[in-house]
Amino acid sequence: MTSDFPILTLLIFLPLCGSLLLFACRRSDQMARLVALTVSLAEMGLVAWLCLASSMDVAAGAPAGFFSFEDAAWIERFGIRYTLGMDGISLVMVLLTAFITVIAVLVSWNGIRERVPLYYALLLALQCGIQGVFLSLDLFLFYLFWEAMLIPMFFLIGIWGHGRRVYSAVKFFLYTFLGSLLMLVAIIALYLMHGAQTGSYTFSLTGLINTSVPYGVGLWLYAAFLLSFAIKFPVFPLHTWLPDAHTDAPTAGSVILASLLLKTGAYGLIRFAYPLFPEAARAFTPVLYVVAVFGISYGAWVAFAQTDMKRLVAYSSVSHMGFVALGIAAWSPVALSGALLQMVNHGVTTGALFAIVGMLDERAESREMATYGGIWGKVPVLSFFFLLFCMASAGLPGLNNFIGEFLVLVGTFKVAPMAALGAFLGIVLTLVYTVRLVQEVLFGKENKPLSLKDLSLREAGVLAVMALAAVYLGVHPGPVLELFRAPIELLTK
Amino acid sequence: MTLADLFSIMPIIITGCAALVVLLCGPLLHTRTVSGIAVVTSGGAGVWAAFTPSAATPALPGLAFTPLAQFLIPLFCLSAVLTLLFSHGYNLRRAIKGEEYPATVLFALFAMCVLPCATNLLILFLALESITFAFYILVTMDLGRAESGEAGLKYLLMGAVAAAFTAFGFALIFAGSGTLALTGAIASQENRAIISAGWGVVIIGIAFKLSLVPAHLWTPDVYQGAPAPIAAFLSTSSKVAAAALLLMLLAFSPPMPELHAPLYILSLLSMVIGNLAALLQKNIKRMLAYSSIAHMGYLTLALLTGTKEGYAAVLLYGAIYTAMNLAAFGAIASLSIDEERDLIADYAGIGFSAPLRGGVLALSMLALAGIPPTAGFIGKFFIFYAAIKGGEMTLAIIGIVSAAASAFFYLKVVVHLYMHRSEAATPRSTPPAESLALCCAALFVIFLGIFPAPLMRLVDAALR
Repeated sequence: MTSDFPILTLLIFLPLCGSLLLFACRRSDQMARLVALTVSLAEMGLVAWLCLASSMDVAAGAPAGFFSFEDAAWIERFGIRYTLGMDGISLVMVLLTAFITVIAVLVSWNGIRERVPLYYALLLALQCGIQGVFLSLDLFLFYLFWEAMLIPMFFLIGIWGHGRRVYSAVKFFLYTFLGSLLMLVAIIALYLMHGAQTGSYTFSLTGLINTSVPYGVGLWLYAAFLLSFAIKFPVFPLHTWLPDAHTDAPTAGSVILASLLLKTGAYGLIRFAYPLFPEAARAFTPVLYVVAVFGISYGAWVAFAQTDMKRLVAYSSVSHMGFVALGIAAWSPVALSGALLQMVNHGVTTGALFAIVGMLDERAESREMATYGGIWGKVPVLSFFFLLFCMASAGLPGLNNFIGEFLVLVGTFKVAPMAALGAFLGIVLTLVYTVRLVQEVLFGKENKPLSLKDLSLREAGVLAVMALAAVYLGVHPGPVLELFRAPIELLTK
Repeated sequence: MTLADLFSIMPIIITGCAALVVLLCGPLLHTRTVSGIAVVTSGGAGVWAAFTPSAATPALPGLAFTPLAQFLIPLFCLSAVLTLLFSHGYNLRRAIKGEEYPATVLFALFAMCVLPCATNLLILFLALESITFAFYILVTMDLGRAESGEAGLKYLLMGAVAAAFTAFGFALIFAGSGTLALTGAIASQENRAIISAGWGVVIIGIAFKLSLVPAHLWTPDVYQGAPAPIAAFLSTSSKVAAAALLLMLLAFSPPMPELHAPLYILSLLSMVIGNLAALLQKNIKRMLAYSSIAHMGYLTLALLTGTKEGYAAVLLYGAIYTAMNLAAFGAIASLSIDEERDLIADYAGIGFSAPLRGGVLALSMLALAGIPPTAGFIGKFFIFYAAIKGGEMTLAIIGIVSAAASAFFYLKVVVHLYMHRSEAATPRSTPPAESLALCCAALFVIFLGIFPAPLMRLVDAALR
């Protein structure tokens, strides 16, 4: 963007304005829903406009690869600046965030009946935090958004959740909080080292990248970053907060958690941890391979044992995110673009699966697979989408996950054939639990006489849009991969 | 003494006179008028101090309006104003009558204004003890409650011992250096052994005031027994004043390597034990007491680095901590109707039945836990930055891990506020004075979290 209009700031703070507006209108629930929908659609429109209108030329004064850039002094004493930048990776993530938020607003339309304005206010505040994470180029600013994301999610799980909602909310919060505090120490240490070397104290990513970190120290600092991001990821064995948080969150909470919050971990690793500590990252690569491959199989294995559909989808997330971790570990252009694409894919398919489980839950008030069975004939539209997204999740060619997993495996095979082989075996396990899910819920024999209503127009619309996205990414991923190309070249050179 | 000198110590005069006026004329005036006078005068003193240029030369023997005073006096005044606003409604509800309450608050404020102006050890000691003396009275002000008396007695006994230690330490420093002047006495290099011993004893005394572990045992009982607005004042201004005293002593002295070890141990124990003990509390005021012990541990961590960054962090954190704790105790005071709302479980569902007070309490908890974008995060960031820069990596990591654990008990309050239901009746609506004070504290917590730069400039100016 060449204009001086602070479009990135608008992207981040438009949802926050909507959130504050919702705090003010606490009377009418319907009004709150409409305001939230309007704001999220406006945000979506803004991103779409940015996609179409931006020239993809590097902005004036911006670091290489960033076609939109904003920079202003904020806390001069520490050289902390308000620096936002958007490259291809950020753009796709921001688009995903805007898209998923619209979906999240729509899927909670009827499901949330209590304290509706507050609910939507928190949802939009969460969006503000996530967009901030994807756009910050100053480590302090990034950290601020990174932690600020926690608060709305904590309330969303704790107030509108099910089951052991308080336990899950606190667990989610503490896990992430502990990890990120250690990252804060590492950020400060890096900042001081850079300041001592160059005399200019700054938190900006482009500045700190040039710090020469002694190898031993770098390992510790990288470990702190990795811990924080791996918890969010979540990488085995740091994933234990995830099944609880996903299961007990309200539907939109699970959708956002799976589709967006997990992506912030992967994004942080790609944007910050690897470029800042390339040597240490290389040293840690074997560890990442092992946890990624193990996570793929382990997540699938545990998913197979679940009877609660939401928990099953949650564990499938652990498995799918293993592919992202694998692609990052390989750090080759092909694998990395596969990992990034897989982030988007997982956001779409898993988000859709959580939405469908939520819709079933709204109808029959149960998430147990045993409750259902044989619903194919009763609710054909819902069943169709269910099957479609299950197939996408299992990696059926022609649908989105296939491309991502394929690229990751191809990219990894070149550098680490054994890891690729292990991950491939994981795919087989994925098929097993997906087929079981489809078999028990959609087909099989009817366990209980349920009278289910098929999808309403709103629900069908939500799923249709997501299905379109899944098919589009499956057959024509070119434009998205093209957006990733330039930043990945810069990252892997 | 010139007119400029008179102007520069005006805050001290205003608060001192106001205390006397309130005490003398109080019986003739309406309670609301008395509270009004107290609020206006303490606010006025703060504004006056903020806009009067500081002077290097003493205005009176032993009193100079230093840049540090220019920073701290408005802070103390703000804290007193909010305390008085919280107290007015609280006292009416609790039938705490009499003009001695605002008069004693003003008297404490008067002593707080003197403390950062002191240029010799004697004035410093008198100011410190006057503050504590005022709090002996304030803590026991709620005569109807048995815990109040117990708290007062405990505080008095402990405080007397602490005062004795501090006095003895100052005496040793005087014996070693031969002068009471702050700069001369501390900087003296002769008789190093005697001066070091004096320092050691002074630190014991101040550890009591700051309630650093192992001199912390009075804190939970006193916070629990004191009226909630007084607990707010006690946990903020008196702590900041004690920290400022230590800061003045350290900043004027040449590096004292022998002080590092005791301060290190005090900081370590306070952070770890304060946070761990707070995990176990069921009473919100006791929980906040242990939390304040931990926070004083963070302050000590910044102090012991002995760097200018460390001292700046102490002042910044002092200001931020004041805002956070005033918000927390103010909300508690405002929610305590006929008796103290003590148990954390009593706060179930309050976030929805009393949105403003519940919201402010939740905000202050998140801030105390150090979660952005609240001011608590900026404070913690500055502290740990100063510690790492000062070479205290190990202690900083211990502090950060203990801060992470502390999030658990702060969240427990938030969980009760919003995630548990209760059948209890809706609390009464908030009086406007308390709403105003709560909003004010909450705005500080948010504003300083997002735009800390102005406060940082003030802090740097105070240390120049």
